[in-house]
Amino acid sequence: MILLCGIPSETPLRMVTSRVEEVGAPYVMLNQRRFAECEIWFELNHGEITGELRIADDVYKLREFTAVYPRMMDDRFLPELSDEPPDSPLRSYCRSFHDTLIRWMEITPALVVNRCAPMASNSSKPYQAQLIREHGFLIPETLITNDPELVRDFRAKHGRIIYKSISAVRSIVQVLGDEDDERLECIRWCPTQFQAFVDGTNLRVHTIGGEAFATAVRSEATDYRYATSQAGEPAALREVVLSDELKEQCLQLSKSLGLEFAGIDLKVTPDDEVYCFEVNPSPAFSYYEGNAGQPISAGVARHLASGLAICDRAVRSQN
Amino acid sequence: MRGRNRLPVTPKKKNPRASLVTGQAWRLPFSGANDMWLVLCSTSDPAGLWAYQGLRQLGVAPLELVTAESLADGTRWEHRLDDSGIHLKITLPDGRMFCSSRIRGALNRLLGPSPEALRRGVPSDREYAQAELFAFYLSWLNGLPGEVINRPTPQGLSGRWFPLSEWVYRASRAGLPTPAYRLNGRDAPDQGYQSLVPDGAVTLSLITLRGEVFGGLVPEGIKRACGRLAEEAGADILGVELYSNGNYEWTFASATATPDLSRGGMPLLQHLAQILTQGAQS
Repeated sequence: MILLCGIPSETPLRMVTSRVEEVGAPYVMLNQRRFAECEIWFELNHGEITGELRIADDVYKLREFTAVYPRMMDDRFLPELSDEPPDSPLRSYCRSFHDTLIRWMEITPALVVNRCAPMASNSSKPYQAQLIREHGFLIPETLITNDPELVRDFRAKHGRIIYKSISAVRSIVQVLGDEDDERLECIRWCPTQFQAFVDGTNLRVHTIGGEAFATAVRSEATDYRYATSQAGEPAALREVVLSDELKEQCLQLSKSLGLEFAGIDLKVTPDDEVYCFEVNPSPAFSYYEGNAGQPISAGVARHLASGLAICDRAVRSQN
Repeated sequence: MRGRNRLPVTPKKKNPRASLVTGQAWRLPFSGANDMWLVLCSTSDPAGLWAYQGLRQLGVAPLELVTAESLADGTRWEHRLDDSGIHLKITLPDGRMFCSSRIRGALNRLLGPSPEALRRGVPSDREYAQAELFAFYLSWLNGLPGEVINRPTPQGLSGRWFPLSEWVYRASRAGLPTPAYRLNGRDAPDQGYQSLVPDGAVTLSLITLRGEVFGGLVPEGIKRACGRLAEEAGADILGVELYSNGNYEWTFASATATPDLSRGGMPLLQHLAQILTQGAQS
């Protein structure tokens, strides 16, 4: 039995749900917005995990779940809580329910796509870049500093540099321009990340269950996710085939990070050098599937239906 | 005990003055003019400050105390990543400068950036700044060269922090006796964080450091299981709390990556000093 968690109308979850239905795998949908109708408990005894999940009138043994696809939003911001005061019982239950659910997901022997712990490497881009670098990918030359003079020197050296968030908090990648020079003084109280701009073709590689789906993105924008506002037209996406070597490198990278499903952001330079910018542990793949037609959601569904983890950590948990 | 804490010996030729100092404390025959070690902790971390003093007395030199508070305000940061490696240069307001090319090891007990670091941010930016600073600290700490005990992880800057459910699960897998642990979504939010030690039970805090166990006498099987737990958690140093109902059959209660090091006493400090300096000599 597959457990799907999140808001059913959210596009990636909706797509995976459809594909799971197509492969005929039994599944249960846990609609986060209906948390008040749900209950969960689990017990650990001599390493054995038992427990139950109740969704409305249906009760499931936790050990029935062979795979889990959590695609949940931050429960603090669920619409059902928007009018609730900070200390309301409903808000408290919502937090407690999600906390218990997530704690079970971290230790269950079921395949979880993905667990929280491995996803956390993405909470620091330069930290993750250090792990990426160990896997043979080039990483853009990066400076994190609170000294404006160092940034000016870095820009003088590279000509074109960008700045973006260090953490997982989403930011729009921007080129540092002359007009930003005065604002550089603002970095003195919080170190900021700058990177040499890498010219080339953007590639997003989704890895799932030993498969890799590569999408090339053509755009004049610095951050193609915002191509329309930055470059005046949307990015053009198309399916590409990776060399066996690069495909294997991507699969190994995901596996080493403990990610069953990942969205790897690459850039291939005109000299065929491959830079890796980051590995997204909860990829919103629907944008790529919708524009390039690759069956990524079907890959996710197949992997969930297999119930077989490819990552070492999950494998260890099953032993 | 003394045999187990044998000291490194190689630098004698280079530094003829370095030798064992007689007396109660072992003194390490190693100091490098171009090398330094760091103790990273908060000013409110007695165990970190105790370790700093102890390592100094053992002759780990130059040894610098870098507190979370001293990093918070007026520090100049330069952290670079490129194909040649990971580089760090920190200049503190008091003029001290730490460069990764000179750092040979560190005892890392930083839990997070000091709240003082966020003082100058406008309230609407503070949550973002907090995430940015944590992410930054995770990166520069991870980039420190040499022996770093403990290395940072995304789950905790000085080692993994797991919820109690996961510690119990891991302890059981490591071979430690564990109590039944139950969590219900209907429980109070702090229920899953409460101590597992029953009323009236005797507790014992052990510290594992790279395979050695300090802080108390327990059966070999318990020691080995504590070592396996630390290894699986990826922690060089791990505090493990056990309890007994009077029959001296020990049961796992909790674990932490930032234990009270003083419970390990001088033997722990000697082992720590040995690890830090041996890494520098290799």
